[in-house]
Amino acid sequence: MKALTDIGLLFRRHLVQLLRSPVWLVVGFSTPILYLALFTPLLKDLVGLPGLPSGNVLDLFLPGILALLAFASGSGPGFSTIFELRSGVIERLRVTPASRFAILAGPILASMLLMFCFDLVVVTIGAAFGFHVHAAGLLLLCVPLALLMATMAAFSIATALATGDINGFAAVINGLNLPVLLLGGVLLPISLGPEWMKVLAHLNPLYYTVTAARVLAAGTFTGAAVWQAFAVLTPLCVVVLGWATAVVRRAVA
Amino acid sequence: MTAVIEARELRKNFPGRRDQAIEAVRGVSLQVARGEIVGFLGPNGAGKTTTLRMLTTLLPIDGGSAEVAGLDVRRQPGRVRARIGYVSQLGGADELATGRENLTLQGRLYGGRRGDVARRVGEVLERFDLAGFADRRVRTYSGGQRRRLDVALGVVHEPEVLFLDEPSTGLDPQNRASLWDHIRGLRDRGTTVFLTTHYLDEADVLCDRIMIIDHGTVVAQGTPRALKQQVAGDAIVLVTRDADAAGLAAAELAGQPGVRDLTVEAAAVRMYASDGAAALPGLLRLLDRAGVPVRSLRLSEPSLDDVFLRQTGRSLRDAGDPAAPAPDQGVPDQDAPDHGVPDHGVPDHSAPDHGAPDHGDAEAVA
Repeated sequence: MKALTDIGLLFRRHLVQLLRSPVWLVVGFSTPILYLALFTPLLKDLVGLPGLPSGNVLDLFLPGILALLAFASGSGPGFSTIFELRSGVIERLRVTPASRFAILAGPILASMLLMFCFDLVVVTIGAAFGFHVHAAGLLLLCVPLALLMATMAAFSIATALATGDINGFAAVINGLNLPVLLLGGVLLPISLGPEWMKVLAHLNPLYYTVTAARVLAAGTFTGAAVWQAFAVLTPLCVVVLGWATAVVRRAVA
Repeated sequence: MTAVIEARELRKNFPGRRDQAIEAVRGVSLQVARGEIVGFLGPNGAGKTTTLRMLTTLLPIDGGSAEVAGLDVRRQPGRVRARIGYVSQLGGADELATGRENLTLQGRLYGGRRGDVARRVGEVLERFDLAGFADRRVRTYSGGQRRRLDVALGVVHEPEVLFLDEPSTGLDPQNRASLWDHIRGLRDRGTTVFLTTHYLDEADVLCDRIMIIDHGTVVAQGTPRALKQQVAGDAIVLVTRDADAAGLAAAELAGQPGVRDLTVEAAAVRMYASDGAAALPGLLRLLDRAGVPVRSLRLSEPSLDDVFLRQTGRSLRDAGDPAAPAPDQGVPDQDAPDHGVPDHGVPDHSAPDHGAPDHGDAEAVA
């Protein structure tokens, strides 16, 4: 019960902090829109080629953007953690009886709420340009998106606590970003690539999210991609959250 | 006298270079009674902050045991947290939030009900002279206001024990004096205050009792008065022409009745005498007859620095970096990460002297 109250309190705290940093909001909103505006035109002529589905280019591309957003929103919270370490906020929170899980979950949930706001904007704009909205599929898609985002955010925060400085943290997160993105099939489906790439992609949680997102956004609920995404992301999220809570508990920082 | 804080043989090692563990705290035992202001005095790197962080559940205890508010810190960290307040060197207020928002969140995290917290926050804002700008963002606060808010954050839940880590670092003399008044006010309300400091005057003026810590062990403890009486006598420093002259002077003075703990440092001879003022004329006559020129002399009542010197063989002002006599290197303390890495082994850059707390690393923490 106390943990729930604490999660609520810390969720609100982080949300207020996010809303009071307008620069963050602008960057957060503009990134997905830039992807849509500057990348979709390149794909236009590819649709219908062998290996690619036909139809509106956004039907292929927009679900990937949603997955990418989940991934990117997840890597962000660690940066504020670094700042909060340096300014003593983390230490102040750790010395209160606040639930250790809440110290982790508060910022994750606040960033997640913001992510879903971005998603809504992306879908709305996409719909105006021909993206076919399948409401039920998109609603169910929220679950893997939330799982991926929470996994990444917990990883990001725990890495920030463990490294304790911006250089070490940025090295880990940036080093991870590129391979995960390239092997996620966000921009183009991995199915176009060679066999070894497909094998590697199966180690990538973003890949499962992207493939499930394409299927769900098309309004299909059956199919291996959907259950595979749940089967991979759920245990991964639980394990990473557990590890991250342990890091908060004994964080030397 | 009931002990609110009791530590026995506390130990903490940090992994150092080449697998050699750094013993940051080696067997610290201490007792703090209810309603005392107790100061942990020592140079940077002595193990003060590390000990404090162990007592406040922030750092795992490697050896020994500690009880705070009657609870075992190792076994019941959660319950200990509920009974204590802690203000770190960094403060830790949210800059984007207002003072009132900060205090309210803090009170609620300690489990206070909304109404009770609102009332207590109002009270604390008044008490710490923060009411005038309670609804401004912390980012706009001055250093002194900021520090008062930090302390207010530590007491909004009315803890039994308040831990303060270097509370007055970075404050100008006026704000320090005001902070001290607030800390005394807390004691008068029954809160036990345990603080660390490397300022002699802060320990002397503010604390009911002092523990002097050096290299991870407590080397002396008592009231400032009792500690100074241990030195029993006034410090006399005679400066001669050079080291040779100082050696001569030391040889002459060594056997004199009432003269103790004679040390030579370059051209200066330092000693203690029970009644320095009365002893001086005789000592000077003696040196005159021996033909040792005295350039200048200083007579001072024993200070805590003398206590420190007697216990450790170093002056607190020079301590922390035994190799060099601590010139101000201007390295901000902040670069030595206070979190994570212990303060042990970080070379001290400026051990401030009595009257100048705002010099050296003062700006670094602000």
